[in-house]
Amino acid sequence: MTQPTYANTIKQETSPSAAVAPIASLRHVTLLYEHGIRALDDLSLDIAPGERLCVLGANGSGKSTLASVLCGLLAPDEGTVDLVGQRVLDQGQPDFAAYTQAHRQLGLVFQNPDDQIVTSVVQEDVAFGPENLGVPPQEIGRRVQRELHRVAMEDYALADPTRLSGGQQQRVAIAGALAMEPRLLVLDEPGALLDVRGRRSIMKVIDRLQHTGTTVVHVTHFMEEALQATRVIVMDRGRIALQGMPAQVFAHADELARLGLEQPFSLRLATALDSRGLDVPHDCNEDALRASIVGHFRDGTAIDATKHTAQPRRTAPSQPDATGAGEQTAAHTSEFAARPDNAAADPSPILDVRHVSYSYVAAGQDGRPRPALDDVSFTVAEGSATAIVGQTGSGKSTLLRIMCALEQPDEGQVLIGGTSTASKADRKRLHSVVGYVMQHPERQLFAETVRKDVAYGPTNLGLSPDEVSQRVDEALDMVGLSHKADASPFELSGGQKRLAALAGILAMRPRVLVLDEPTAGLDPRGRAQLRTILRQVHESGVTIVQVTHSMEDAVHADHVIVLDRSHVLMDGTPQQVFEPRNAQVLTESGLGLPRPLRWALDLQDQGMPNLGDPLTTAQLADALARAEDASSPASDAAGATRVSSTTAPAQESAGDTSCPSA
Amino acid sequence: MPVRITMGQYYPAQSPVHRADPRMKTIAMLVLVITCFFVRNFWQLALGYAVIAALIALAHVPAKKVLDSVRPLMVMFAVLSLMNLFVHTGGDVLWRLGPLTVTTAGLWAAVLYTLRLVIAVVACALLLLTTTPTQLSDTFDALLSPLARLGLPAHELAMVFSLMLRFIPTLGDEASAIMDAQTARGGALGEGSLPQRVRAVGPVLVALFASSMHHANGLARALDARCYVGGASRTHWHPLRMRRTDWLGLALCAAYCAGLALLCAL
Repeated sequence: MTQPTYANTIKQETSPSAAVAPIASLRHVTLLYEHGIRALDDLSLDIAPGERLCVLGANGSGKSTLASVLCGLLAPDEGTVDLVGQRVLDQGQPDFAAYTQAHRQLGLVFQNPDDQIVTSVVQEDVAFGPENLGVPPQEIGRRVQRELHRVAMEDYALADPTRLSGGQQQRVAIAGALAMEPRLLVLDEPGALLDVRGRRSIMKVIDRLQHTGTTVVHVTHFMEEALQATRVIVMDRGRIALQGMPAQVFAHADELARLGLEQPFSLRLATALDSRGLDVPHDCNEDALRASIVGHFRDGTAIDATKHTAQPRRTAPSQPDATGAGEQTAAHTSEFAARPDNAAADPSPILDVRHVSYSYVAAGQDGRPRPALDDVSFTVAEGSATAIVGQTGSGKSTLLRIMCALEQPDEGQVLIGGTSTASKADRKRLHSVVGYVMQHPERQLFAETVRKDVAYGPTNLGLSPDEVSQRVDEALDMVGLSHKADASPFELSGGQKRLAALAGILAMRPRVLVLDEPTAGLDPRGRAQLRTILRQVHESGVTIVQVTHSMEDAVHADHVIVLDRSHVLMDGTPQQVFEPRNAQVLTESGLGLPRPLRWALDLQDQGMPNLGDPLTTAQLADALARAEDASSPASDAAGATRVSSTTAPAQESAGDTSCPSA
Repeated sequence: MPVRITMGQYYPAQSPVHRADPRMKTIAMLVLVITCFFVRNFWQLALGYAVIAALIALAHVPAKKVLDSVRPLMVMFAVLSLMNLFVHTGGDVLWRLGPLTVTTAGLWAAVLYTLRLVIAVVACALLLLTTTPTQLSDTFDALLSPLARLGLPAHELAMVFSLMLRFIPTLGDEASAIMDAQTARGGALGEGSLPQRVRAVGPVLVALFASSMHHANGLARALDARCYVGGASRTHWHPLRMRRTDWLGLALCAAYCAGLALLCAL
């Protein structure tokens, strides 16, 4: 990696004047929106060269406004702003010439990749910014190549950006910003609309930028993404509520909860262990926490040091068994596919998908039909909660449209409550049985008021006005928007819009609610709120089917279906699907294991006793607490108690743990 | 979502047509489109088809790709043919039903008018398939620049045009997603009486409009962030340059026009 980085050249340029001069400096900045809302309220902030600053905060806390101010797109109403050495705002007086100058050295990438790509060829898009700056043609060519290489998109230089995945599009957008050689790159929730794999690829790019000395401001809703930052600030109502190193900021658990945020996983686990009487240091660093948990057990319980080296380990995601793993997992998968009990157990499933295949017409470069679904079969029991997981392009969205009687499969059939979706008249009737919440459902809002919008569905069902009105009230009450009934749906906040759209479907009283990534793009508070509402809807007897990227959501379902490249890869309970031995298959299909399970496996690899495949943080903490109880009274009987302490599913692991005695 | 709009999608390939100066290509396209209205006999038609066939071969674009862009216009062509079929009178009467008569002249007109329009459509499709939106927008800029002196915002128009090409598929996807959502809420799209249909379209259009505004806001932010301020101080990664082959192309355009004029007499 000896590629030339412009960060070095910039340092040389700036060093003579003042090496420590901040790239951006905000002094007592206030920015007002309509209706007197203070988006920024007397905020002061300095950003040093080479810093990686992470900005957290709930929706409406002023994060995005701060991002816009930092990249020179918004001039605040009061205060003083210096950007890249230019005084752009002096005591509330903007200097537009200075803004234009500063602006050329500031880069921005924001949420929606669709809106940021302005041409239909990747390399042309990366060249767009430098062209605007008046960079000579040869230099543009060099920059385009360099930046596409940096974001690992050089193979797609001639591709059509609209055909790329969200993660790839965002990397193109980042390359486009970097090609302008900004001294400060502002990333405003770049991963909010991406799947796990897409977010991971963005994080890799940010890590790389940090190493080459680029100053980065990263606004995010995902706490784990803040752990690598050199500094974290937490925004609340236009002010900085908390700031410091990640570890310092995340230590304020109560304050974060009050601000609608959460702690990263490692701290939540430490807190959960605390409440169960296990004393471990609260550490943001996952490796450090793991080490101290392991150390804790080793000291307290004298786990036989030779034991874990002798013990045959099950395949962990990070260290796949190169030779036999493929066969083993393939056999395992087919065992799942052949498993008849799921269909047989429930005589009348609410959703019955039978051998469904579907192809897109002329979508690929070659114009051949591309299969989106290939012989997909499964059933969903009435009253259950099902999660469909799979990465972008696995056919999930097509499957949902077919399940909701919006599309006819090419082959096979779908039965909803026993009625096939084959006839048009039936499909129309079935729309009142299956409620479909599309991805970003706020896009469906259209009426003048929230009430009228929610009433659209029930009115189409031909209900009496009284009945419609009653259902609307009920649905709005359910999502907690009764007070907004007469507001325009377009004036609501992002999270509220989504809830209003959800109410529009709940008001139709569907027996099955089908949701396509309902929590995508929401902040932690919005995610929690939506989950609570869905739980209540489920408890009222509605069957829930949701497509999700989040393994944490999937483990709370009764039934998990894994879709990979148009096929059903696995179908079973979360315990059956998220098994250690499925780790490799799941990782290959871009999913991976739920974090608590991954942790348990890692801990076991480091010599901990078997923890019984925990899927949630609480289960993991329980398992650790049990292991502690079991081992502390009598260390000599550790082997035996450990077996009894693990829960039922670990039959083969009982064999594992007894192994060392041999 | 099942069928994506193929019009206006760049098809990357290495070919003389891809390499040609986009200004020359645009002029050639305009020549093909305008002259197609003067095609009146079989030999002219044959010449036109020979030229577009040669261009498709030269461009290394699969013929199917080109024809895909004709397909959405088939309905329009069919209607045009029908009108020509009945409007033109003259020649022998082939068939008669009440006020409608079909004559040999009418039949010839129906076939001719449709076939010559295909030349125009294929010419447009070839230009879009072999030219990147950036090049197109530069071309519009260059070709309209004489008008810029008269106060026409040539550069901005060119940019709007290229953004339009970019956002057609995005808004198409958006529209089908919203149609799905309203259908799932019992909206009766494309069924029932005319007033019912019109009523059902409202919720889709308003929602689509709102989401287009949303995209427009995002796009404005993106253009700002990337320092787009209009034409003046921009540079071009690949500046337009007329080479010898491009002048040759223009000469061939002139030859084509002359050929059509000569064949007119036949």
